[in-house]
Amino acid sequence: MKHLTDSAVVSTIAPVRVAILGAGRGGTALLDLLHQIPSIEIVGITDRDLQAPGIQRARDLRIPVTDQAEELVRTHGLNLIMDVTGDPAMERFIQSHKRPAADVLSGSAARVLWELVRHEAKLQAELFHAEKLASIGSFAAGIAHDINNPLQLIMGLAENLAEETDLKTVHEQARDIVEAVRRTSAISRDLTQYARKTSARDDAMVALNGRLDEALKIARYATSFHDITVRRDYQPDVAARGNQDELVHVFVNLITNAVHAMERGGGTLTLATRMSRDGVTVSISDTGCGISPDISGQIFEPFFTTKDPGKGTGLGLYNVKTIVTKMHGKIDVESLVDRGTTFTITFPPATETPS
Amino acid sequence: MGEFTSGFFMPDQATNGRVLVVDDEADIRKVVRMTLQKAGYDVLEAENGEKAIETINAGENRLLLDVVICDIRMPKINGVEAIAYFRSNYPRVPVIVLTGFPDTDMATSMLRQGVVDYLVKPVEGEKLREAVARAMEQRELAHL
Repeated sequence: MKHLTDSAVVSTIAPVRVAILGAGRGGTALLDLLHQIPSIEIVGITDRDLQAPGIQRARDLRIPVTDQAEELVRTHGLNLIMDVTGDPAMERFIQSHKRPAADVLSGSAARVLWELVRHEAKLQAELFHAEKLASIGSFAAGIAHDINNPLQLIMGLAENLAEETDLKTVHEQARDIVEAVRRTSAISRDLTQYARKTSARDDAMVALNGRLDEALKIARYATSFHDITVRRDYQPDVAARGNQDELVHVFVNLITNAVHAMERGGGTLTLATRMSRDGVTVSISDTGCGISPDISGQIFEPFFTTKDPGKGTGLGLYNVKTIVTKMHGKIDVESLVDRGTTFTITFPPATETPS
Repeated sequence: MGEFTSGFFMPDQATNGRVLVVDDEADIRKVVRMTLQKAGYDVLEAENGEKAIETINAGENRLLLDVVICDIRMPKINGVEAIAYFRSNYPRVPVIVLTGFPDTDMATSMLRQGVVDYLVKPVEGEKLREAVARAMEQRELAHL
């Protein structure tokens, strides 16, 4: 009973109101982390340079941006001022302008906090990469199939060419060999590109339809698409801000799960994209076995898997959710046992055109 | 000449035997046909397990089909299911597996089910012809 009362109190408590000073790398990292936490309200961010990366990010997140540091520091009801400028003059400025009730985090305390945030991000990236590499192990059958089939064609044609006397046939079969070699080399290109560590480059506007097609190609190695009809229902030019390598991995995960759900008897895989003023959605649907209601609450938890021991890492959907959240999106799932499942990712509305 | 894409067969033609090639890739069926025709075999094709079962059950194929070469990873009825069907309904017809995936467990399980050979692509033409010739001998032994 006491526990219930306590949690009721916690849920009605006012959020911690925070101002961020400095929108460089430290400010951006804090912004990314803090805005995901419901009990924290970011009242504003400022920087001398209004082109700083954190300022652009704040605009994307609809967080107030100001060039008036004094005004921000004096905001009514402010609980905490986070100063990540590393500028000693700023500390003095804050102390002389802030209201007495506001706490200040600056200097090495701010620095330690930033290091923690960075460390957490690094661990997350390593976990993400580990899961991706583990999933590539399951590609072996698909890769062997897709390499050995063209090799068989090349072998047969080359053996025939050694004896072939009809010039027209020689030309035709030589062309078939070149084509088969192209197909084979495309496989190693696709896979090495996919397996590489996620590029550290900054987020950009990513065209989602192209990334879905790329993921579809990769997922074909991961699992057999026999008896699966693929329906692509794309709205043109749909884009969201994020890291494209991470997005491809998110889509590969969801597509592979969808196809696995239709292992018995096949079905239809539908990939759809939509853009509206309210945001951008990507949905991946299958007509497979569905997710039973008693486990649907756990599917995004780390190490939760329905696969046999040694088959799944239990990190796939966990990573999917982590990446989507990092992109300021959300993921929803709708499922009916024996009817199918739809995962829908919603991103905030795009503010730029894809690069 | 020698182009059999269905159960069609010219009885007066001299032949070393009739082979059914089951693979979902047309390219593979094409080169296997080319390779085997050089050794005087008639070649029938099927693109999945379902078509393969239809073909073996069609008319004179029930009696005249000598050897099946079968892939594992295929749509509709896959290789494992198709081979189980051949082994129980046509035990006299030797089956050779020709697959893109070197999988020891699968090979062991297939050989236990009476598959006479488990070949991994790419296989040289000569090796494939030898495997078919061996299978033909086994079929003849089975007839004795």
